[in-house]
Amino acid sequence: MPREAEPSLNERAFVIQALQEGQRIDGRAFDQFRKLDLRFGDQYGVADVTLGKTRLLAKVSAEVTAPYTDRPFDGIFTITTELSPMASPAFEVNRPTETEVLLSRLIEKTVRRSNALDLESLCLVAGQKCWSVRVDLHVLSHDGNLIDASCLAVVAALRHFRKPDTSMEGDTVTIYTPAEREPVPLSWLHSPFCVTFSFYGENGEMMLVDANLLEEQLRVAKLGGTAVEGTSLIQCASAAVARVKEFSTLVDAKLADDLKRRDKGGLLAELSAENER
Amino acid sequence: MAVQADRVFVLPGDEVPAALIPSHPKKALKLGPGLRHVPPSELIPTVAGQLATDHKKNSIWVEYNGGRYIPAVGDLVICSVQRSGPDYYYVTITDYTPNAILPQLAFEMATKKTRPQLNHGALVYARVCLANRHMDPELECVSPTTGKADGLGPLVGGMLYDISLGMSRRLLMRKSVEEGKVAVLDELGSAGLAFETAVGRNGKLWVNSESVKTVLIVGRAVKETDENHLNVEQQKKLVRKLVKEMN
Repeated sequence: MPREAEPSLNERAFVIQALQEGQRIDGRAFDQFRKLDLRFGDQYGVADVTLGKTRLLAKVSAEVTAPYTDRPFDGIFTITTELSPMASPAFEVNRPTETEVLLSRLIEKTVRRSNALDLESLCLVAGQKCWSVRVDLHVLSHDGNLIDASCLAVVAALRHFRKPDTSMEGDTVTIYTPAEREPVPLSWLHSPFCVTFSFYGENGEMMLVDANLLEEQLRVAKLGGTAVEGTSLIQCASAAVARVKEFSTLVDAKLADDLKRRDKGGLLAELSAENER
Repeated sequence: MAVQADRVFVLPGDEVPAALIPSHPKKALKLGPGLRHVPPSELIPTVAGQLATDHKKNSIWVEYNGGRYIPAVGDLVICSVQRSGPDYYYVTITDYTPNAILPQLAFEMATKKTRPQLNHGALVYARVCLANRHMDPELECVSPTTGKADGLGPLVGGMLYDISLGMSRRLLMRKSVEEGKVAVLDELGSAGLAFETAVGRNGKLWVNSESVKTVLIVGRAVKETDENHLNVEQQKKLVRKLVKEMN
């Protein structure tokens, strides 16, 4: 397996020295993100996120299956991440690297286990039929900060997604094609976002957001966690709140734009069979 | 690449017009990179790019901005040391490709006792002295005829930037301002910045200076010129902007 290319000694020393003088290699401020862009595809549930040179594609799909026997009232929700050799030659198909395992675990934690998606609303017939929602996340180009970008991509794709409308008559479930009834959005409870902070220096005294690949390779990396000053933790939290608000407004604005683009002649509201609840 | 109006753009497999092939009464025709000779007398481009000719040297080649560097004898490259063997350093010229070898005695004034000690991750500026297909390339940091280093050897300090292969070729041209259309380094120098650079044909640029800010500005200026395909006027404007921002 090819190992990830490591930065040279000169680069290591220089990046740290520049950080000590308050400079980043690409000229950004310590708390500045790279250019973030979000685009939706022609289909429902396709989100394409670009963050600097990092690019990700999330695709949501849904099908009807039998629920798990221990959870008869819940639907199924899975997220699969794929770091293909297209992103970096160090990635191999079917052999997850440490980056990939960490990424999928974190996405799982933030989106799935925080109950952002109401699983009970995916149930059709208790114990027999439910929706299985699946998110496929593809990393197209890897230049650091995959976590923040992929979390944004997954959340945006899920909020953009529409599943086919269904109706119940006695024991029969009818699934309507988009031509018959306008598809309905998922029951979305809250939008979680990630903001990653990278620490540098011997005691982790320098703090960056949105580290690129080179900066990511040089940061203090402790998987079990490391001791951080209480004050810097509070600083991080308040910076993260401001950043997450920006993410949230970006996604809202892009979703509204996309809806406007699709809603030709203002017919979407009439086509919808959804009722206000 | 700098676009020149009189050059023809070719695609892989195209037919090279006979009128463009230089003919010299005495010298044999020399084929450069990107062209393949199919006997008896057919020339086929193997890459997309501009067809360039030199009538004095009776040579023809294709100028392209390709993805991966393929070593050729005489090229100057910046490589990083992977490990050290008994007689050789194993170095990478391009990431994720097999190592090249650099003999430990191929440095200026090197003997068994005075050879440089290079650790994993150290950068070396070297010349390719052996490059065959299906063989690991061999490098040297000293001219075999004169025994002088001519500026080659370990690079200490500074910062390494990745640039495109076309950009590194333009920077390495003898008249880089006229032929290569890169004035950015000259402009930075005349703006009063003191720095030194080394350009590797493998798409690497090493910049060193007393001040960190200067290194950052030089690196950013070259990378922006490369990525946004700036012409000479735009490069001058960029340099003025960056120097203004620094002060």
